[in-house]
Amino acid sequence: MDYPAAPIPAVALTGVTKIFPVPFQRRSVVAVRDLNLAVAVGQIYGLLGPNGSGKSTTLKIILGLVPPTRGQARIFGRDSDRVASRESVGFLPESPYFYKFLTGEETLRFYGKLCGLRGAALKSRVEEMLALVGLTSARTRRLAGYSKGMLQRIGLAQALIQEPSLLVLDEPTAGVDPAGAREIRDLILELKTRGITVLLSSHLLGQVQEICDRVGILANGVLVREGALSELLGVENQTQLLLENAPPNLLEAIDDLAARSGARVIERGRPRTSLEQLFLEATEAAPDESADE
Amino acid sequence: MRAVAVILSVLLFGAARLPMEHALAETHRQLHFRAVDFNLDLREQLGQLGFVAALSGFRSLVADALFIQAHVAWERTEWGRVLFLFRQITTLQPRAVLFWDMAAWHMAWNASTAAMNDPAQPRLALRVKTAREYFQLGKDFLERGIKNNPERPELYEALARLYRDKYEDHEHASEFFAKAAALPGAHRYTRRFAAYELAQCAGREREAYAQLRALYDSGEQERLPTLLRHLKELEIKLDIRPDQRIPD
Amino acid sequence: MKVPMNDFRHRVFSFSRMTAIAGNTFTGLTRLKTFYVLLLFALLLIGSSVFMARMTFQQEFQVLKDIALGAMSIFTSLLAVIATARLLPQDIEDRTAYTVLAKPVSRFEYLAGKLLGVLLLVALSLLAMSALFFAVLLFREQSVLNETSRQMAAAPAEQSAEALRLVRASAFNVNLFSGIAVIYVKGCLLAALTLFVSTFATSTIFTTIVMAFVYFIGHLQPIAREYWLQTNSAGMFTKTFLALVVLLFPDLQSFNLTDDVVAGNAIPTALLLKTIAMGVFYCGFYLALAWTVFFRKEL
Repeated sequence: MDYPAAPIPAVALTGVTKIFPVPFQRRSVVAVRDLNLAVAVGQIYGLLGPNGSGKSTTLKIILGLVPPTRGQARIFGRDSDRVASRESVGFLPESPYFYKFLTGEETLRFYGKLCGLRGAALKSRVEEMLALVGLTSARTRRLAGYSKGMLQRIGLAQALIQEPSLLVLDEPTAGVDPAGAREIRDLILELKTRGITVLLSSHLLGQVQEICDRVGILANGVLVREGALSELLGVENQTQLLLENAPPNLLEAIDDLAARSGARVIERGRPRTSLEQLFLEATEAAPDESADE
Repeated sequence: MRAVAVILSVLLFGAARLPMEHALAETHRQLHFRAVDFNLDLREQLGQLGFVAALSGFRSLVADALFIQAHVAWERTEWGRVLFLFRQITTLQPRAVLFWDMAAWHMAWNASTAAMNDPAQPRLALRVKTAREYFQLGKDFLERGIKNNPERPELYEALARLYRDKYEDHEHASEFFAKAAALPGAHRYTRRFAAYELAQCAGREREAYAQLRALYDSGEQERLPTLLRHLKELEIKLDIRPDQRIPD
Repeated sequence: MKVPMNDFRHRVFSFSRMTAIAGNTFTGLTRLKTFYVLLLFALLLIGSSVFMARMTFQQEFQVLKDIALGAMSIFTSLLAVIATARLLPQDIEDRTAYTVLAKPVSRFEYLAGKLLGVLLLVALSLLAMSALFFAVLLFREQSVLNETSRQMAAAPAEQSAEALRLVRASAFNVNLFSGIAVIYVKGCLLAALTLFVSTFATSTIFTTIVMAFVYFIGHLQPIAREYWLQTNSAGMFTKTFLALVVLLFPDLQSFNLTDDVVAGNAIPTALLLKTIAMGVFYCGFYLALAWTVFFRKEL
């Protein structure tokens, strides 16, 4: 039976519950409670929540690293407890350590082989990935000498090595400096244009807001809010107006107009650049001396 | 739940391999492998550490360590210690022919000679008695060694020498030389030696003559001076017809 | 929109995935300092046996072979346990296991690859030790042969040839290869068992300590077994205890043929093959057991 009208979601969780027993005690901890969630193909989905809210556990269940106590997780319709479901997934865990004794290139070759790549296909794919994450010049260096941001980028490269249709990222920008974070953010947006579905978890709301199409908020293992970003954040009865070089009389005229039509000006002031913006402008202006050490 | 299943499967696996392991151990026994009797006695002798080491697959190393100690004890002519150490060594490595041979040699040759020349013991009778006790210890080692290694010619030969040189028991000496000669890997001279000894046993001259003659006939390489001397003596003793005698 | 192709077929077991993990494990282990320290120590011990007590040549060869094979046996076992014990905890702690298992890699391939990597490492170090051992043995044999020819120069040709034959016989012996092969099989068994223990152990130290106990008890297992099978007089408690020891622990003594090889005993081919088969049987079982624990393990 086919339902062409309802395409298979990239990720589907139905009634997923995960209970961890506490060793040597008669109690247990519920990490995820009756979670229902669907990520449509082509979306960037953000899973939000404070530390310990069950984000990582949810991602691990999706990847089959942790079996759910109840419920079912599927990737493109394949059950997560099947190894085959991971053919089309790339995963970057939170602050990953890869094998420190490998170079960047060796790391990608290793993960490529795990995905069944070999020979010329593997070689060209490794080149492509090194170029994509900007680590071509650091390819022969051992990972032990990589910075946090470089590790995150090589991690992204290994997650993408077999051209997966779904990318799962656990806190992709945690511990990375703003410039690095923005590179990762841009990369995610570029992947979206290539049609790759992205599921990421984060507690950095600003970044999620910038890139995600849809978000879910987890608290104590329960999905408390879920929806498209525009739906969740739009305040229905308010409008924002941003003007440049506006003379004071224009502002007064606008106030009058508003008062006449029954509207009310709630706030007026200078928009402030974000600290992040300031940081990025300042650091990018500085000459880059560490380009190729 | 899974833990119980795992433990059960380990136990089941143990039960499944039990007959195989038993059969393997039986093969080892038939080959006289690991013929070590680990008992309390040995434990006391070796001490805790040595015993554990010997049990955990290092018995040949423990035996070597003791062997080197025995070598030192011998250089200091501490005969009691040599005996004590060799008892442990041969218990640990009963399949090492070398150790039985060395043990017997130290007792029957070195210790007995030392006892005969002991300046602290003025009475000859007692010196002889002690020396004979050492012969007996050497013989014991060789007999036990043969029991553990019945297929190796070296110990039969050593026992034959002991009978010949220390007990002057030609009958036994001949018997053990012959046993050595019958085994694969024996020295070629053991056959000759068996015949030489037999030639000196009263009443068995005819057997000895037959054996010596057969050796003589087997080729030029056996016609050594001692063999020729024994043959000539027996030809006279047995009154062999002149035309059947060997040429002078 | 990117959707995986439906005709994509996943192979349940892939040899190349397993060998990729094995190769990676091997590389990781060869970049550990511990490995070189252990190997260096073993090689020093084997090499130093040249200078061992100068006794008669038969004694000298016996001691040399005992020390070298003893060193090979203990270092192979030690290496197998130490190298395997840290593999899984390290991978889980570093979260590298996540990245590997998030690829289309089955947990069996992961475990088998890890084990294979260790077995490769153990094989190569045993090969290095054997090479040195045979070099030392050959060197000593040659010098004893030269010495003997000098001493026997005046003796008849037959006696001289006999003496040289004796020297050769007490130095090199084909059975040494069988002995070394069985040392390797024992190393494989210990590695597989260590892997199994490490799937449920809480720390590397725990695994290592458990394996130390297994090592000693495993050598006593045959004594317990014969006692269990033969006695009827023992009490209920004793019998149960013996049965547990016999069924839970491997018989490591069956893999201890070097003592007898050094003593000059021949190892029949049938016995060698049976021993190897037994070892393979053990390895397979422990690997399967490791898999049953690891299969649904929460990482």
